[in-house]
Amino acid sequence: MSTVEAFSGRVALQLPMRAVAMAFGLSAAIVVVLVWSLMTGSFELSSREVFATLFGNPPTDMATTIVWEFRFPRTLTAILVGAFLALSGAALQYVTRNPLADPSLVGVSQGAALVVVAVTILAPGYGFAWRPVLAFGGSLIVAALILWIASSRRGGETLRFILTGIGVAALISSFTQALLTYGDIDRALTALGWLAGSVHAAGWPEVTWLAVTALIAIPLLLAASRPLSAIRFGEEMATSLGIRVTAARWLLVGLAVGLAAVAVAAVGPLGFVGLVAPHLARRLAHSGVGLHLILTALTGALMVGLADFAGRALFAPVQIPAGIFTAIIGVPVFVALILRSQARSQL
Amino acid sequence: MTHPILAAENLSVGYGDTTIVKDVSLSVKPGAITALVGPNGCGKSTLLKAFARILPPMSGQVTLGDKPIRSYATRAVAREMALLPQGPVAPEGLTVTELVAQGRFPHQSLFRQWSPGDREAVERAIALTDLQDFADRPVQAMSGGQRQRCWLAMVLAQDTPLLLLDEPTTFLDLKVQVDLMALLSRIVAEDGRTMLLVLHELNLAAAFADHVVMMRDGRIVAEGTGPDVIRPDELRQVFDLRADVIADPLTGRPVCLPRGPDKVPLKAAAE
Amino acid sequence: MTATRSILTAGGFWLCIGAVALAFMWHISVGAKAIPLATVWEALVSPEDGVFDHVVVRDLRMPRAIFALSVGAALAVAGALMQGVTRNPLAEPAILGLMAGATFAVILGIGWFELAGTAYVPLFAAVGALIGAVLTWTIAGAAPGGATPLTLILSGAAVSGFLYAIEQAAILLNEEAFRNFRVWLSGSLAGRDMDTYLWALPWFAAGLIAAMVIARQVTALAMGEETAAGLGVDTVRIKLIALIAVVALTAAAVSVAGPLGFVGLVIPHVVRLFVGSDYRLIVPFSAVVGAGYVLVVDIVSRVVLAPLEISTGIVTTMLGAPVFIWLVRAKL
Repeated sequence: MSTVEAFSGRVALQLPMRAVAMAFGLSAAIVVVLVWSLMTGSFELSSREVFATLFGNPPTDMATTIVWEFRFPRTLTAILVGAFLALSGAALQYVTRNPLADPSLVGVSQGAALVVVAVTILAPGYGFAWRPVLAFGGSLIVAALILWIASSRRGGETLRFILTGIGVAALISSFTQALLTYGDIDRALTALGWLAGSVHAAGWPEVTWLAVTALIAIPLLLAASRPLSAIRFGEEMATSLGIRVTAARWLLVGLAVGLAAVAVAAVGPLGFVGLVAPHLARRLAHSGVGLHLILTALTGALMVGLADFAGRALFAPVQIPAGIFTAIIGVPVFVALILRSQARSQL
Repeated sequence: MTHPILAAENLSVGYGDTTIVKDVSLSVKPGAITALVGPNGCGKSTLLKAFARILPPMSGQVTLGDKPIRSYATRAVAREMALLPQGPVAPEGLTVTELVAQGRFPHQSLFRQWSPGDREAVERAIALTDLQDFADRPVQAMSGGQRQRCWLAMVLAQDTPLLLLDEPTTFLDLKVQVDLMALLSRIVAEDGRTMLLVLHELNLAAAFADHVVMMRDGRIVAEGTGPDVIRPDELRQVFDLRADVIADPLTGRPVCLPRGPDKVPLKAAAE
Repeated sequence: MTATRSILTAGGFWLCIGAVALAFMWHISVGAKAIPLATVWEALVSPEDGVFDHVVVRDLRMPRAIFALSVGAALAVAGALMQGVTRNPLAEPAILGLMAGATFAVILGIGWFELAGTAYVPLFAAVGALIGAVLTWTIAGAAPGGATPLTLILSGAAVSGFLYAIEQAAILLNEEAFRNFRVWLSGSLAGRDMDTYLWALPWFAAGLIAAMVIARQVTALAMGEETAAGLGVDTVRIKLIALIAVVALTAAAVSVAGPLGFVGLVIPHVVRLFVGSDYRLIVPFSAVVGAGYVLVVDIVSRVVLAPLEISTGIVTTMLGAPVFIWLVRAKL
């Protein structure tokens, strides 16, 4: 641990070195996965060709098309979506003081998915650009619903919250499924791939939304890391430390839901990233809340980047949606969390 | 430390439609330990939460200094007054120092997260609560009494003249309860802070509080020094308890001796 | 039990049977071409080969109604047994991982061993359901505090989620084999063949009979394991029989209709409202009411968006999930 002071004591921060080193390590790993993803596919490129293409000196026109039109936006989407879902999960876990909170487990992602599927099927051709906003609306309604259902009784709320979420997620998914039956089969098939959490079809428009959201939401969330660290101690303690708890909680839930919704709008409900990444990040390095959020975002980005890469490369030419890989990795972590003795006080 | 006075004026508080604390006026005595006692459900914890601005008043108000507490920014209040709620749960994996450092929150900002002043306050709080040897241990690995000291250290690090504690001794062994109360009296004596505590155990209040407030059914029934308040008549009225009160031969403070319906001598019980 | 009470109960039972019979005929009468109830009745009682409607009723529509009936009865009884034996108000095959296990095993059997329509389908489903149950209980049992309703539901969700993800991958990797199974996967009675049903029939029968036989002891178990042991119930044996019955019923239902969620959750709770806590009544009433419920749900799923139909499993989830949420709030 070392302390950084500057500007005659106006800036004073505590920096755990291990966590900082981890952050750099994770960033480097993400860059490696990015380059690797750009190289791999039915049309192989060398790393030199990839760099040449990225820096405006493509070896062939084919390389330009493949890298710029397909692989680059897709991989960027995977990375950004991973970071968003991870941050969303971390914020939900802090705010609800529940280690099992995850946007896909409690129905927030499914709410976004339902609205997007409804628009795709009932009003085709309309609203592509509005997708993130609609998804945000859908998941906000679900989040408010769950918080209302779970909080209108006192005591033992942590688990009730998750179980309510599981019920709500099942209910909403059934409506989405019904819509798929109702919809035109071709359109339904597009929606079906998307529902499995596939980065497959992502292009520059998705990257643009994600980037804009990142520029707004991530600084806000990092700025909110201080209230977040006080809210973990419970409402009474947080008030006593000088936090306006209600306002802070709604801001944070809003951010968490917004991040999840935009991610879902881009690639569909990708499960378990929000559950796993915060716990992995905590294992990687012990740190305060702000740095933990950064590590969580990087871990999530790496997870989904790898999941997309694996889904594309392992069974080529068949593409396995990244969501399937994140679920296969995520469930064992979920089980481990259920088994952890620390959960005793919370279960 | 300077002392803005914390007081309630005709305060009524409750949950939903039920009023629990009814029309209470109380001024917390500066530089002393005030204990709120009373039977379960008498409203003592609710009153404490209203003082700590966790519960909004239904009527009346809480004042700090000469202004209503609601007119201050939350953070400004947090520099004057700290609360240790009942049964707090530490987030996973936090070490003792990190927990205590959290108490510095109202003195920090986004870009000024860790100043030498913060370090000093944290070190002092850890020393006061005698936790130096455990500073880097995870809070969860500590025993109940140690954990309660950690929380106390966190509240002390907040460095406020006023401290509100909600049943700080519940679920602790008798010896640990006594140690903790002795520590609180020492802090009040040395630092000149003001403490308002909810206590469940009458004899702890009698032994350590400078000022005792007895409540029943949301109202204050008796208020004053220990010997003024802890008397057989009051105990019957407030707790429905038949008890004798004697003076501690060492300190002169009152000790309450509960009596059953029949006074059974020791020899008879043995037979 | 007093005489009046038992007359009332018997009357209620026959009333339910009558209602199910009506639902059965209604189920048959609904379709692309509506057939009047009177004609359905004739076709069932005195069929004539020459009458086109009679052929439609007997050969095309009746099988589906029978499937619905059997699946509903099986799932409701399975749910009732699980709730009684584990004293967990939220127990049912779909929530505790059995259905996911059965579905997964069937997918595996069909995709890799090409077993569609054979005697092995219910067998695979049974093994899968058993594995699902064992996994769920093992995880929940190892959690701090043991297999409580809460840990069971969480580990059930984990097991189901994991198997579902692998299933999805398997389907993508072998799309040809699963072309016709997409609909089955969401729990549907459309286009199921009689062969599979006939192979599943013994499983249905065995499960239902076993459930009836142990109903008395389940009543005791529902009051607590120690109470039951005190009353002279061999708790280990009864639990084992209950497990076998639940696995058989789940396997039979999944082989025929795919995963139908929440039927086993909702029906026993409804039944308990009327008949109390005696499993000698809960089991038969659950069977009858469950049969009627799935018949009606299957009618609804065909009528609402006609000519399209929604998978029956989607509708049971829409109806059952709110009940689940309510139970979480009310009972936990």
